[in-house]
Amino acid sequence: MYLAAAEQRLDLLEKETDGAPCSARWEEFPFSVLSHHGEACCDIAREWVKAMDYAQLNGGDLLSGPRWLRQRYEWGPSVWPLHWCEAVNEKVIDCGAHAALAHEAFEARGVTAFRAQFVQSYSPEAIGQWRTKWVEGEASDHWLDDEFIYHEGNALLAGGDEVKLWDGSAGCWVNPRQSGGYGSLMAVRIFADEAQASAGGFRWGLHRIAPNHWHHIG
Amino acid sequence: MKIFVSGLYCGGNPQPGVGIIRSLGQGYPDATLVGVEYSNRISGIHWEGIDDLWIQRPWDELDLDSHGEQVKEALDAGGMWISGSDLEAMWLADLFPDGHPNLLAPPMGALKRITKPAVEAARELPVKIPTYISTENSDWELHAFCRAQNWRVWLKGPYYDAARTPSWDSFEAARAALTKVWSTQRLFLQGHVSGYEESVMLSAYKGELLGAVSMRKRDITPEGKTWAGDISEVPNEFMIPLRRMVKELNWTGGGELEMVRDAGGQLWLLEMNPRFPAWVHGATIAGHNLPALLVQGATGTKSKPAPALSEEFTRVVLEVPVRDEYPLPPLPEPYAGAIGHSMKHPSGLTSLAKKLHKTNPEMLEAVPDPDAPDGLPRIPDSFVADIDSYDFAEVQTPQFLFMDSTAAGLFKRASDRAHRLSTNEVQVVSGYSIKTNPDERLIKLALDNGFLAECISLAEAQKAIEVGFRADQVILNGPGKWWPEGMMPKGRIHALFCDSIADLNRTVAALEAGEVSSRHVGIRLRTPNIVSRFGIPLDSPETFRKLVDAVKRLPTDTKFGIHFHMASDRVGVAQWWHLFESMLKWCRSIQALTGRTIAILDMGGGWFPDDWHADDDSKFAHAVETVKAMLPEVRQIVSEPGKAMAQPSMALAMRILEIQEHEEDYVEAVVDASIAELPMYFFYPHRMLRKCGKTGELTPLGRGKTHLMGRLCMEHDVVAANVQLPEGTRAGDLLIFCDAGGYDRSMSYVFGRG
Repeated sequence: MYLAAAEQRLDLLEKETDGAPCSARWEEFPFSVLSHHGEACCDIAREWVKAMDYAQLNGGDLLSGPRWLRQRYEWGPSVWPLHWCEAVNEKVIDCGAHAALAHEAFEARGVTAFRAQFVQSYSPEAIGQWRTKWVEGEASDHWLDDEFIYHEGNALLAGGDEVKLWDGSAGCWVNPRQSGGYGSLMAVRIFADEAQASAGGFRWGLHRIAPNHWHHIG
Repeated sequence: MKIFVSGLYCGGNPQPGVGIIRSLGQGYPDATLVGVEYSNRISGIHWEGIDDLWIQRPWDELDLDSHGEQVKEALDAGGMWISGSDLEAMWLADLFPDGHPNLLAPPMGALKRITKPAVEAARELPVKIPTYISTENSDWELHAFCRAQNWRVWLKGPYYDAARTPSWDSFEAARAALTKVWSTQRLFLQGHVSGYEESVMLSAYKGELLGAVSMRKRDITPEGKTWAGDISEVPNEFMIPLRRMVKELNWTGGGELEMVRDAGGQLWLLEMNPRFPAWVHGATIAGHNLPALLVQGATGTKSKPAPALSEEFTRVVLEVPVRDEYPLPPLPEPYAGAIGHSMKHPSGLTSLAKKLHKTNPEMLEAVPDPDAPDGLPRIPDSFVADIDSYDFAEVQTPQFLFMDSTAAGLFKRASDRAHRLSTNEVQVVSGYSIKTNPDERLIKLALDNGFLAECISLAEAQKAIEVGFRADQVILNGPGKWWPEGMMPKGRIHALFCDSIADLNRTVAALEAGEVSSRHVGIRLRTPNIVSRFGIPLDSPETFRKLVDAVKRLPTDTKFGIHFHMASDRVGVAQWWHLFESMLKWCRSIQALTGRTIAILDMGGGWFPDDWHADDDSKFAHAVETVKAMLPEVRQIVSEPGKAMAQPSMALAMRILEIQEHEEDYVEAVVDASIAELPMYFFYPHRMLRKCGKTGELTPLGRGKTHLMGRLCMEHDVVAANVQLPEGTRAGDLLIFCDAGGYDRSMSYVFGRG
């Protein structure tokens, strides 16, 4: 996301938000969006992601996670705004860029996918390490709090109202059985048209997640 | 209470004995737990929770009758027995055909119904069985199975062991090894299912299900074995039929259903084990002590409740003191010149397998199969007719035999299919790949049946023109298409595909200079996810950008086309069709990004004959429709069947020079052919026939203990392994290797002829 926009929201949210997902600062955060130059450079990048994703499926299930993206792009700091032609040529991208590429891939496959935001619990030591790395990378560390982190991924409709949550920068599906602790998922928000979810929201393991609202886990 | 527990192996692929003992120790702290093993090399015997040990000699030394008597005495004296080994459980079931109240293991009738891979007893569970084939089928059929499964297959032994066999030579090596280890030809190949592994463990007594839990693997060893997992209740839709199954089987003891859950959520059953799994104590940690439930069910003595400490468990590596009475044995001496110590199966389980085969060969045969394969390949009638047309008294062996009617039939079939698939908008035409076999008779058949000539060099193009092709029926392809200089066909050729951006630049220059003229000029795409050295790569956004820029440089007064090629027999049939769809997506992107419409699509190849000819038109018709939908400007689809035309069109005749008989029925027969005439021997099986010297009858060769050695003084000159020569075969008899008309013929070389 654009850093300026994010920081502006921080100011706003710290004053106004109540009942936020572990940290008030992420209550109204938008998910990250890759920019487009409006020229061939970004068209080529986008087409490449779609065609390469299908090639990498190797005849596997369309509901498989696009693991190849994590294999190609390490997880690390990205400086925003980030354009398509820039993102695909990087060696390291952050979770927002990972989620944006994965979403493009899922949609090109013809499966129903949504952008998702996570809040996860980590230790102060881990968060301190990431803060150093992001600052050194001249990237915003707005996603780090004292004991929680903001993270992005994807929700994939797996059949009926059931979703699977894809953590592209880890290259794995998020375990729907969460029991707290290091790395656990504390809250999730799935961005979807209300019409795309059933009345009870999306089913994820034993959870029912209403679209466009933060859902607290456990 | 005394409980005997076997299967204490604690290596990388551990047995459950120690876990069972830990769980029983928790549930029955006052019970005497006796660890049973068949080697003092098994580290689990040193586990502190074992109260007493009963160490037997390894299975290869053990007298089964006297050991059986001892087990019976122990059970009669009130001891209970929980087996941690599949093979031991089978032996016990055989030993106690009517069961024993204290034997907490399944009866033989139940074991027969869980024989893998079919696991007949599990038919009502919400699981599917991955597709499989017995290795008792002919090699020809096994190769077809591997192609159909995209070479994502496992060769599995009857009890343990599985090997990935991604190619024919790796399959042959693994089959030889497993057959030797387990003393049986009864192996099977099973298709791989991609997904996450999970298991259901159960505990039952006399058909009553006492408990069951579900476990998902959360961390695995390099061999894929559980290292950590999470435990949960078995859902009702699984539990209800499981309860019925246990009842039907009259199951006693532990059990495990090993499964894979695919991306769509479907469970695939890999096997059912007649014992608790090695992670059994992981479930106890989660509050589900199934071994204690089993003992409770058998004795009525209530076990101590199992507190749920965590829903998740993991393993750690622990050093424990060695028991004084069982000091560590020395390591065996490495074989001279070999690397490492041979330490597999220290208790001699493979010897037990051999003994069980001898004492009861039908033990694992669930239901005698009257339709069991005979292992002989089916020989097409046209092959027999073509071979019979030769007077072999006049044939100097080794010699390739042109299969006249077979070849004519293949080309006509391909031609007819192309006509059927063509429409007013899109013409479908076949291309004969000259390199597969440049025999003039085949090139002529291609010409007569409306094929185009697909050439990778100007020498090939010249050959095609000499046989009668016109320049405008020639397609030039590959990195060597400009070689040798000065042989470019006069006149406009049909199509030219650039193999690299450098090649494209050269082509543009040659077109501008008038050195070449072509109706279509295009590019060959390199498959991005399957290793290939040919075509323009797509593997990075930058290379893709360069490709897009390069295509824009192609002259606009020629029509544009795209070519891709991957041998379907190497990557598998379904994988090839996926690649086809994937390539269409790349084509669509290239078309959109360059503004150049694709008029010709040339796709190959390397089809195994059966995959190309046996299939009905439906897949090809669907492919044409898909092209029309995705690339509506395409006017011609060139389909390259590759070796599907040439391979069946020739056979190789050879004579047996000498037969050498060795120990244990092993035979080496030397023939006058060699790998110089059969260079593809390592890549696919050939259907082989022996022509009887007396009657002239043709008999297909099945599997056996004969190796056919080539005439060359080269160690690897073995043209067939493990075949069965018909009774009465002798030196001078004729053997015919079919399916030798493709790269066997075109890549054969002169060697050892002076």
